[in-house]
Amino acid sequence: MVKQTIDLKVNGQAYEVQTQPWRTLAEVLRDQLNLTGTKISCAEGHCGACTVLVNGKAVNSCLMLIAEAQGKEILTIEGLSKGGELHPIQDAFVTHGAVQCGFCTPGIIMGTQAFLLENPDPSEAEIKKALAGHLCRCTGYVQIIEAVKAAADTMKSSRSKRR
Amino acid sequence: MKEQETLNVIGKPYPKKDARIKVTGECRFAGDIAVPGMLHGKMLRSPHAHARILNIDTKKAEALKGVRAVITGKDFPGILYGNFAHTRDYLPLAIDRVRYVGEEVAAVAAEDEDTAWEALDLIDVSYEPLPAVFDPEEAMQEGAPLLYDNKPNNISSKSEWEFGDLEKGLKASSLIRQDVFHTQPLKHGMLETHTCIGFWDADGKVTLEACKQSPYVAWRQLAMGLGLPPHKVRVKQTFIGAGNSGGKQEALPMDFAAVMLSSRTGRPVRIVHSMEEVLIMGHMRHAYKIDLKIGVNKDGFIQAMDCYAIADGGAHSSIGQLSIYLMGAWLMMTYKIPNVRYRGCRVFTNKSFCGALRGHCVPQARFAFEGLLDTIADELGMDHFEIRKRNAITPGYEAPNGFKITTCGLREALDKAEEVSGWRQKKGKLPKYRGIGVGASGFISGSNIMGMSACSAMLKVQEDGSVALQSGATDVGQGCDTVLPMIVAEVLGIEPGDVSFALVDSDLTPIDGGTWSSRVTFYAGNAVKIAALDARKQIADVAAEILEAQPEDLVFRKKRIYVKGNPDQGTELDKVIRHCQNRKGMTIMGRGYYNAPCGHLDFAKGYGNFTAAYSFYAQVCEVEVDPETGQVQQ
Amino acid sequence: MFRNLPKFEFLSPKSIKEAISILAKYGPEAKLIAGGTDLLSEMRWGEWSPQYVIALSQIPGLDEIQFDKTTGLRMGAACTIGEIERSKVIGAHYPLLAQAASVLGSTEIRNRATVGGNLCTAAPSADMPPSLLVLNAKAVIATQEGEKVVALEDFFTGPKKTILNHDEMLVRLEIPPVEPTSAGEYIKFGRRNAMEIAMIGVAALITLKGRNNTCKEAKLALATAAPTPIRSKEAEKVLTGKKLTREIIDLAADTASKEASPRTSWRTTEEYRRDLIRALTRRALQKALDKLKS
Repeated sequence: MVKQTIDLKVNGQAYEVQTQPWRTLAEVLRDQLNLTGTKISCAEGHCGACTVLVNGKAVNSCLMLIAEAQGKEILTIEGLSKGGELHPIQDAFVTHGAVQCGFCTPGIIMGTQAFLLENPDPSEAEIKKALAGHLCRCTGYVQIIEAVKAAADTMKSSRSKRR
Repeated sequence: MKEQETLNVIGKPYPKKDARIKVTGECRFAGDIAVPGMLHGKMLRSPHAHARILNIDTKKAEALKGVRAVITGKDFPGILYGNFAHTRDYLPLAIDRVRYVGEEVAAVAAEDEDTAWEALDLIDVSYEPLPAVFDPEEAMQEGAPLLYDNKPNNISSKSEWEFGDLEKGLKASSLIRQDVFHTQPLKHGMLETHTCIGFWDADGKVTLEACKQSPYVAWRQLAMGLGLPPHKVRVKQTFIGAGNSGGKQEALPMDFAAVMLSSRTGRPVRIVHSMEEVLIMGHMRHAYKIDLKIGVNKDGFIQAMDCYAIADGGAHSSIGQLSIYLMGAWLMMTYKIPNVRYRGCRVFTNKSFCGALRGHCVPQARFAFEGLLDTIADELGMDHFEIRKRNAITPGYEAPNGFKITTCGLREALDKAEEVSGWRQKKGKLPKYRGIGVGASGFISGSNIMGMSACSAMLKVQEDGSVALQSGATDVGQGCDTVLPMIVAEVLGIEPGDVSFALVDSDLTPIDGGTWSSRVTFYAGNAVKIAALDARKQIADVAAEILEAQPEDLVFRKKRIYVKGNPDQGTELDKVIRHCQNRKGMTIMGRGYYNAPCGHLDFAKGYGNFTAAYSFYAQVCEVEVDPETGQVQQ
Repeated sequence: MFRNLPKFEFLSPKSIKEAISILAKYGPEAKLIAGGTDLLSEMRWGEWSPQYVIALSQIPGLDEIQFDKTTGLRMGAACTIGEIERSKVIGAHYPLLAQAASVLGSTEIRNRATVGGNLCTAAPSADMPPSLLVLNAKAVIATQEGEKVVALEDFFTGPKKTILNHDEMLVRLEIPPVEPTSAGEYIKFGRRNAMEIAMIGVAALITLKGRNNTCKEAKLALATAAPTPIRSKEAEKVLTGKKLTREIIDLAADTASKEASPRTSWRTTEEYRRDLIRALTRRALQKALDKLKS
């Protein structure tokens, strides 16, 4: 079967990949672009480990065929930190004990990024709803929610500083 | 050697050392590792619960474009392996019989995963289905289908013991209650599915890179199943995306398949399981039927306990020999029980087999005991906390089955839980359909399995004052990658950030029992401490010369070494190391091993001390039930 | 068995006409893909193995939301559940739809899943049909002969079955305006609070007349209570024209429970489902009524 050429824009960089039509965005990111921060676990949209941002919206990349990613701005976990400096969400996860085995972490951080951009001052209930599509088998979620709250606070205050 | 008078590192919060690489996505798990020339493997699984394998025809699969090798059970030496010498019933791939739906019968390596999946469809297995049995009590009956010809009545293992005088205890009880508790099988859906990369090189050396939380267990099993001496097998642990046992403790069919496929092809082979495979392939939590009887006197003090437990073991022994003892042990580990009879029986059934899983039988045991204790408390009109406090194990207690409790904070935990939860204000006073309950448990800090519990550690102190630490312990997310460096840092007066922690590699890092039963901080921690103290002594001897002091008067703190009480009479740690290396030609390496002084535990007789450090818990939960829908909210 | 996606050719028509002609050409060998959140999972489980997967993403206009106060809402089949959840227009005029959308899947699923996909997968437990049914939605279907309009009630024919032929495509939903004295509620019940498939789902829409609680019109629809999403018409009759007292609401709930044909599945029993229908129908009606009172 003929491979397609797909133009991708990932973390601000342009890529051209040759791939079969039945490949998902998650597989292409991991196997062809070597961006293995995005994880595959359930491969059917239950666990959130594969979450990336597509045009600013959090999606399960395991459920997106690669052709559908063409022409869109894709942000993966690798694109979040800048020049070695952690994004406030990443930093909050480190300092709040929200990372244990770390397998769910990239997906949850990306889900959080999309969410906080839309809702910079969330309640705990809103955080839980926004991240309901993410499973973590280690932490029990408490520190994750605390980290998200702390990140929201940090991001709010850095925005007000810039004004 | 004087201990530090104040702790400088222990007791302070430190972020998990590998958190940074995990939040950036840099951290590579086994499935993120691709090596040049790597092939992709997939496993073929039995669709039958019980069947004879009559023939496996792999020709069509082998002929598929892109397939490089297809193997079956016959490609292995046919050596059974397992967790205990007398319960070995694992084969890398089934040879003439399958015993549960999902059991592995063949494996394929291909240029890509799609081709590997397609090849599975082309493997022709002729089965002769056999009668199967799914209920343990049915399986124990005469005439039930037998899973193993040498295991009459499908009895996998038993643990039967009696301490004190059960009859006397029951007679002394003014209230005896009995109930039967059923628990369900469970498989932990850890997000990182089981993954391995196998390579069999031209030297006959087998390398397995995999998410193993007990690499040495996998190492021994792999060597045995392959018919190789252990030194020809190398297990390299990758970062582990959650374990909780559940299959990441042992050598799995996929591991054998990966290395054998590599042997056939001369290329590395990576196998990644789907979540469905993880959930069906065994290493489940045992489902139990627990027939429990507790007798108390009029003041609520436990006089006797009688338990008959049937564990549904599934199709293989796994670690079941230990599991069936554990049910009884957990029942004994919270309250003082002077007279006890425990009869546990693990039974084979044609289902995914059960083993250690996140707590290894303690949830089932406490579910039964705590529930029955509450029933008794209610009948006595006694508060649920009160009955627990009365019976709680206390420091220094020696149980009739040989547990020797040293420190114990159960009373304190109960007091705190009662206070923090607002129990007194809530119990019996909550609105209708709302309830509050308490449960308590004991646990261990590592189980006493003779020498096999021991941990070892090695470290080298480097010329910039940093330490490279190796131990056999694995981090599965629980934080030993940080805690063990903290211990080293405390002993040597440096920072946890100065201590690197190696992934386990059976060629390089020291031997260890593995990560299970909450053992790492205690066992590995002690081994690491001994290794650090070993290094410190070597350094102190040299520093003492330099500082013209006695080694035992030296303090290691803030990367300096100085005479106690006289901080100015000191020098930098890294200077001393360079002095050792460059002037004396002496490298500083510390080593240590630790096995807790528990004495002998006889699992068959059920007697002995199970751990050197018991831990205790109290937990309160408030729930609300919707009477119209039955939905429960916490 | 869960495995890799089967091989297929991916086609990206630029118009509805082109899509229909591809469907006509390949028949059952082709499957349409919108968000893909159902389809790709189903394909991995071996439910479908289409040779051609036809994307809708390049067809303009399929995801538009338009509202006119006389004609009502026109919602493209490719509108994502997330867009429906967040739409100001829908939030203002059809909040029941936004509520139903908000309990489907997760944030990530909602950002890709579409209302058309939810309807065409046609699971009896689907979250969007009950609220669309009580809103009298019509399904606009593109065929080789042009568009045809079908009441949504007639769209579902069985578990995971719709009236669509192989060469037909759902393109739009049309929902008439709702009277101002109306309020609705969608209750989704499962063991979990999120990421759940409805054990029972109930949508209620009440329109009152006059100052007292007299019901001008009531609509009830259920998920997972029958082989398809259904209206509870006998229960609706109990309410129409009546003052909505506790007793009448109870009677309607009871009627809905008896009228439905839930089944015993691995998830739960028929008896429990009937109890749920009764309890949740009562709650949905009461909640809708409370919204109108406030």
